[in-house]
Amino acid sequence: MDNKNTLLQVKDLTVKRGNFLLDHVSLSVRPREIFAILGSTGSGKTLLLEAIAGFYKPEKGEVIYCGLPLLEIPIFRRNIGYLYQDYSLFPHMTAYSNIAYGLKMQGVAKAEIHDRVNAIAGRFGILHLLKQYPGTLSGGEQQRIALARAMIRHPALLLLDEPFSALDPMTRKDIYGIILKIREEFGCAIIFVTHDFTEAEILADKTGILLHGRYRGTADAKDLYTAPWDTDTMAFLNIKNKGDI
Amino acid sequence: MYKTHKTCFQVICILLTLLTVILIGSNILVIAVRGIRCLADNMRDRETLFALWISLKSSCISTVLCFCLAVPAAYTLTKMQSVFHPFMETMLELTLSLPYIVIGLSLLIIFSSPFGKALKKAGFPVIFSSNGIVLAQLVVNLPFAIKLVSTAFLSTDRKLEYVAGLLGATPWKCMQTIVLPQCRNALISSLILIWSRALGEFGATLMLVGITRMKTETLPASIYLNVSVNNLDGALSGAFILMIISAASLCMANYLTRSDKRLSRYHG
Repeated sequence: MDNKNTLLQVKDLTVKRGNFLLDHVSLSVRPREIFAILGSTGSGKTLLLEAIAGFYKPEKGEVIYCGLPLLEIPIFRRNIGYLYQDYSLFPHMTAYSNIAYGLKMQGVAKAEIHDRVNAIAGRFGILHLLKQYPGTLSGGEQQRIALARAMIRHPALLLLDEPFSALDPMTRKDIYGIILKIREEFGCAIIFVTHDFTEAEILADKTGILLHGRYRGTADAKDLYTAPWDTDTMAFLNIKNKGDI
Repeated sequence: MYKTHKTCFQVICILLTLLTVILIGSNILVIAVRGIRCLADNMRDRETLFALWISLKSSCISTVLCFCLAVPAAYTLTKMQSVFHPFMETMLELTLSLPYIVIGLSLLIIFSSPFGKALKKAGFPVIFSSNGIVLAQLVVNLPFAIKLVSTAFLSTDRKLEYVAGLLGATPWKCMQTIVLPQCRNALISSLILIWSRALGEFGATLMLVGITRMKTETLPASIYLNVSVNNLDGALSGAFILMIISAASLCMANYLTRSDKRLSRYHG
């Protein structure tokens, strides 16, 4: 892949946490691309996403982000959006303060923060929730606030850790729409991890498969079932196929 | 077999609880009943008031110093990665396992040396001085404070710090805006416990500054002195004051710890 057209490159990344080994992962993500990482529970999806964000020092390999080795960029200058499965909103702050946090850290003037928080809250349909604390909100509401918080600094890359797993089917459909809208309006690339093939097919341009800590390869989302996968991956997809399709 | 063990454990637990209630409870009752009776008289006594004042003053100063050192040390140990951490952790906790009288003796040796004499010449006497009381309380309490504060820092959600970092927070800002507010109550409760321990410190202080009436006489030292001259009323009223302060600080610390648990429940 042409380096100029690559936003993120994971090169032969090996990360060890306790007894778990994430082994030799290589993948590339282009600007504005939606990339789904599929894998069963315990396959290391969250660890891979955290390693992509640069939370851990790898044993081997590296992550290149915007042409630079990611670990050479201090975490507070990376400008990557990250959404954890439990949303990780700051419990001691209101929704407004949660969303405004990134701008405050940038030193943006109060009046501008006010305008930008209200603007993004309007886009995500959460204006009425701004004075509330996270503990009083539903899962869907918390997720919208966490997305607004992640997007307010216009990151070039948004990482989503199983964003739909804790939502009911109706809210899930709403959030699918929001994810596609984020790509359109903010122009960022999105990597999300999931164990649901349907989500990958609906949302992603590309799909990578991770099983037992080993990355099995990348394919276009439309070719998910026809790409030449290894035996383990075929078994993984077939089992799911029978249940889901 | 399992049932027999379970019953046996339960019996031991109940017996121990009863024994504690009877022994400690009866002691507390004696101290409370006799202490209250002679408290009014003793509170008019200059010596008791001096002991109370010097205890409160030295414990407040040593607690503030202790906290100022424990917070950065505990933060470094729990949040930053270094190959030296296990070594530093062991060294910092070493004095936890030493008897306080031994710590006091070590301090006495250090401050009897030319270094201690130079300090005295420079206007900072330690031995037989109220500065020594603060120092003894600080040295005894520091490892305990680091342990308590480390536990508070470890209880915070690491993910929030990662998210804050990606949102542009420098490590210092992250500590100010995310870590400290998250464990605020646990830190206040640690502060109270450390202060309460400093107030009751006796062994190391005794070795380093001795007990001189109206000079280095803290409240625990005053109890000891009163018992040694057979003034049981004086000793009991001093013990009663210490007991009330300890009970109040323990209640406050427990209340704050419970409040922290309530705050973190929303994650579920």
